[in-house]
Amino acid sequence: MTDGKPILAVERGGAADSLAARPKIVGARVKRTEDARLLAGKGTFVDDRRVSGLLHVAFRRSDHSHARIKQIDCDDARGMPGVVAVFTAEDMASVNAIFATSRMKDYHATAITALARDKVRYVGEPVVAVVAETRYLAEDALELINIEFDPLPVVIDPEEAAKPSATLLHEEAGTNVLCAREFRTGDVDQAIACAAVRVSGRFRFRRKSPLAMENRTYLAEYDAGRDELTLYSSTQVPGIIRDALSEALDIPGSRLRVVAPDVGGGFGGKASLYAEEILVAFAARRLGQPVKWTSDRMEDLASTSQGFDQIVDAELALDAEGRALSLQADVIGDVGAYSIYPWTAVIEPVQVVSFLPGPYKIPNYRGRVRGVATSKPPMGPYRGVGRPTSAFVTERLMDMAARKLGMDPVALRLKNMIQPNEFPYRIGSGIVWDQCAFTECLDAACEQADYSALRARQARARAAGHWFGIGIACYAELTGIGSRISVAPGMPINTGTETAKIAIDSTGAITAAFGVASMGQGLETTLAQVVAEHLGGRVEDIRIIQGDSAAVPNATGSYASRSAVLAGGAATLAAREVKEKLVRAASHLLEASADDLAVEDGKVTVVGTDRALTFRQLARAVYLEMGRIPSDKREELTSTRTYDPVFGTSATAAHLAVVEIDPSTFEVKIERFVVAEDCGRLINPMIVDGQVHGGVAQGIGAALYEEVVYNDEGQNLTASLVDYIIPTATEVPSIEVVHIEKDSPTTLGGFRGMGEGGTIGAPAAIANAIADALSPFNIDIFELPVSPERLFRLIENATTDRKESTHGHEA
Amino acid sequence: MKPPPFEYLSVDSVQAATAALAAANGEGKLLAGGQSLMPMLNFRLLRPSVLIDINRIPDLAYLKDEGERIRIGALTRHRMIETSELVARQLPVLSEAMGHVAHLAIRNRGTIGGSLSHADPAAELPMMSMLLDAELELASAKRRRTLSASEFFVAALTTDLAEGEMLVSVSFPKMPPSAGWAFEEVARRSGDFALACVAICLERSGDRVSHVRIGMMGVGDTPMRATETEALLTSGRPLDDHLVAAAVGSIRASVEPNTDLHASADYRRHLVGVLAERAIRRAWSRATEARHG
Repeated sequence: MTDGKPILAVERGGAADSLAARPKIVGARVKRTEDARLLAGKGTFVDDRRVSGLLHVAFRRSDHSHARIKQIDCDDARGMPGVVAVFTAEDMASVNAIFATSRMKDYHATAITALARDKVRYVGEPVVAVVAETRYLAEDALELINIEFDPLPVVIDPEEAAKPSATLLHEEAGTNVLCAREFRTGDVDQAIACAAVRVSGRFRFRRKSPLAMENRTYLAEYDAGRDELTLYSSTQVPGIIRDALSEALDIPGSRLRVVAPDVGGGFGGKASLYAEEILVAFAARRLGQPVKWTSDRMEDLASTSQGFDQIVDAELALDAEGRALSLQADVIGDVGAYSIYPWTAVIEPVQVVSFLPGPYKIPNYRGRVRGVATSKPPMGPYRGVGRPTSAFVTERLMDMAARKLGMDPVALRLKNMIQPNEFPYRIGSGIVWDQCAFTECLDAACEQADYSALRARQARARAAGHWFGIGIACYAELTGIGSRISVAPGMPINTGTETAKIAIDSTGAITAAFGVASMGQGLETTLAQVVAEHLGGRVEDIRIIQGDSAAVPNATGSYASRSAVLAGGAATLAAREVKEKLVRAASHLLEASADDLAVEDGKVTVVGTDRALTFRQLARAVYLEMGRIPSDKREELTSTRTYDPVFGTSATAAHLAVVEIDPSTFEVKIERFVVAEDCGRLINPMIVDGQVHGGVAQGIGAALYEEVVYNDEGQNLTASLVDYIIPTATEVPSIEVVHIEKDSPTTLGGFRGMGEGGTIGAPAAIANAIADALSPFNIDIFELPVSPERLFRLIENATTDRKESTHGHEA
Repeated sequence: MKPPPFEYLSVDSVQAATAALAAANGEGKLLAGGQSLMPMLNFRLLRPSVLIDINRIPDLAYLKDEGERIRIGALTRHRMIETSELVARQLPVLSEAMGHVAHLAIRNRGTIGGSLSHADPAAELPMMSMLLDAELELASAKRRRTLSASEFFVAALTTDLAEGEMLVSVSFPKMPPSAGWAFEEVARRSGDFALACVAICLERSGDRVSHVRIGMMGVGDTPMRATETEALLTSGRPLDDHLVAAAVGSIRASVEPNTDLHASADYRRHLVGVLAERAIRRAWSRATEARHG
């Protein structure tokens, strides 16, 4: 690796299928091709870009949660040596506001502008931008700016904010409830009346930051001669940003390009349009010089979109045999100050009610949701989007019900799960599951963990005074969604397709361009595997272009566990077509029937002979050696194909956590973590493992550590990594992953998306394990994260109650 | 997040450093490992006119055996102390505590002088110097003086260092070979500031505790000694479950913890008792009968 040789190697071994003597490239544990540069520090992130004449931006941000801007005085800052420009909203009147519109009824869009106009609505909202020769000078100049605020009542508690009497953040909306929706199937009230067992709770999943390792960074370059603007952005969605900036700045897409080079993590936090992106693009064009802004960690924690933060009142009713009869839930989602573009404020809270029934047959369902604006940074997509909360609520209710019924939680789940012969199955919220491996995953997780032995171990541990718990969580998610599903929420853009543009050039090299944008998940490797498989090329000869709005006409990006399914499908179609062209050319040149030709390892061979042409020889013949192929038979070795899975597919997993709690200090230790997952056909098992590990690590963060805390004044108390605590390698156990490879019947290649799943199951599994460990004290877990402080309170209250009720005195 | 403007001065002697400090009229700051100073500068919480870089002063980073005491130079990195065989042999409780000082990357740069001068109430070294009755040697342009740890630490983030004065070394009395010791800490994650921490050195005489020192932190504005609990343990009663329980009650009663984002006062009070019990039992099991009383 250090001597510059490619580290790529297809592991050829263990060819299980005797018919396929040569290894399949799809399914091989190919080492990530991008790692050669990323691990050696040779990656190029936005902040690494060196351009002459670069100017630097610093933002003066609101220190008020909610206030009217009375006056801004920037004169001293403008006059400071080294300062090139100072911008306020007034200076940006020519920039169009962007709205995340939706056709959904009871939804209110809010204007997105680069700098706050008239009002600020959260601490950290950009108000003034200083452009200077260095970041140091820009920050010095911030101190010379005087902003006169007229404080307004803060809007912090979403339940208070939902009341008609509440102070409004957006007067023009007439309410703080930016979206409201209800799903209803069957008759919940009737079902409850017949139920033998009812379990319910008020569940709280706290606010979280996506916290990518690379902070958001934007660098814009303007070519005045051509009136062309290029924004280098640490984004997951370069195409979406290109389209939004085109609208904001009135520049056609042909002269506006958004490039996401190497990106250091996103997790949803880089999947939306940001004010800073608009400002940097605007300033570069206005000033005719390149302009950059690099977020620092404090700005990241204060202004990057946040995740989760829901209050869920839910009740599950079952009959005496443990069959679920009904589920009802009332959800309040704290969506922050603005409805984020393009996903809208609907994205998190509505997903919670959409996915609450999960993998279970629950005939009667009622899910009500309100997304409520508060004076906090906007809610945006975060790995799992809504589903971590759904799984937390439903899986907790399942465990509570099992306990009440005296049933084993695994048995109760298996009894209620949609069985293999019952697909496709429509759940109460209207989602249709295709052939999902619900029971298979749960069985596999239990087998891997040796569930019955674990229960025996738990009995021994309890007898010895240990607090030992086992927790299970099952879930399903929609992945790789196609045109039909994405159209449903009525968002400003629908993203159901993906395009692959594959070309073999005159040197015989293969370039494949996509609209996806890898933020570390290895798409350069997995897409090269798919192309290699269907084109007959070698993985190491394929260059993948992605993260560039100019690569294909519509390049939305990577989000929603879509890239393997959509880009993989498009790659399959385009690669097959290029292969057909290669075969036709080779058939002519080798004077052999197409049926006698085999394409593999970058050459076309007449089967059973040593006659072959390499891609390079073929390409020269097609492009450079006129006369070898008659002009009417000469075809350019290219293909552009778009794939739409129409409905998309689904992915599923069962997580099993084993925890031990210190009975004195209440520290939680995760002893074991098992994941049995089905993401359909695996493209690269090593990358899938890595995705699961990373997702579970973030789920552990959500379960035990991570919480964005705002005080009553709307100040962020967790504005640094001293106080916003994430799990480190020490806190993440070794994770055991079992793959249940059930090819998706609805997608090309059988792929199902899987980028988010780890984060969906882990919080619920850990919550259940903790509740299981504490079940002798009748303690249930309703709130995440379970900090030691929260456990201390729960245990103190429970033991005090118990002492009082059993002995009537305090020990 | 960039620091405000400042002058930078690199010095090569304690004399030059203290002279520069004096010349700065209270607006100078010494730069050693920079592990607390640089974040404070970047947050613009500090605005020194001049940063006096002492990293190039020779002979300020050392661990010395002075017979009765171990002397450690102010510029000694945490990692050197953590891995020192001398410290492991003569001050084993300090050796163990060093592993809890933040993370390895920070221990590679951070210095003992910097940590003590910064006087963070949740940092291990101020507490360990209280526990071990350390003496701190201070130098100014005019004089040198020595203070005990209890005199040096005035309040959270506040020491007795005068303007123009710097810490040059700290010395710890060696622990008796027969002493038992323990260091118990609870933090949200390994390397984080302690929610509560108890460290103990004790000597035993038969079934009784003859000498004990208990340091604790995370349960008040500053690190402190649990003097009432120390007195209880050496009151002549045999060390049994009753005495341990009394000690736990005593230490809990003696603290007035603060509530913050990570832990309430009640939880911290609970923890200090749990940790005290663990520490007493562990130290007791490690102590051997002293040869001379």
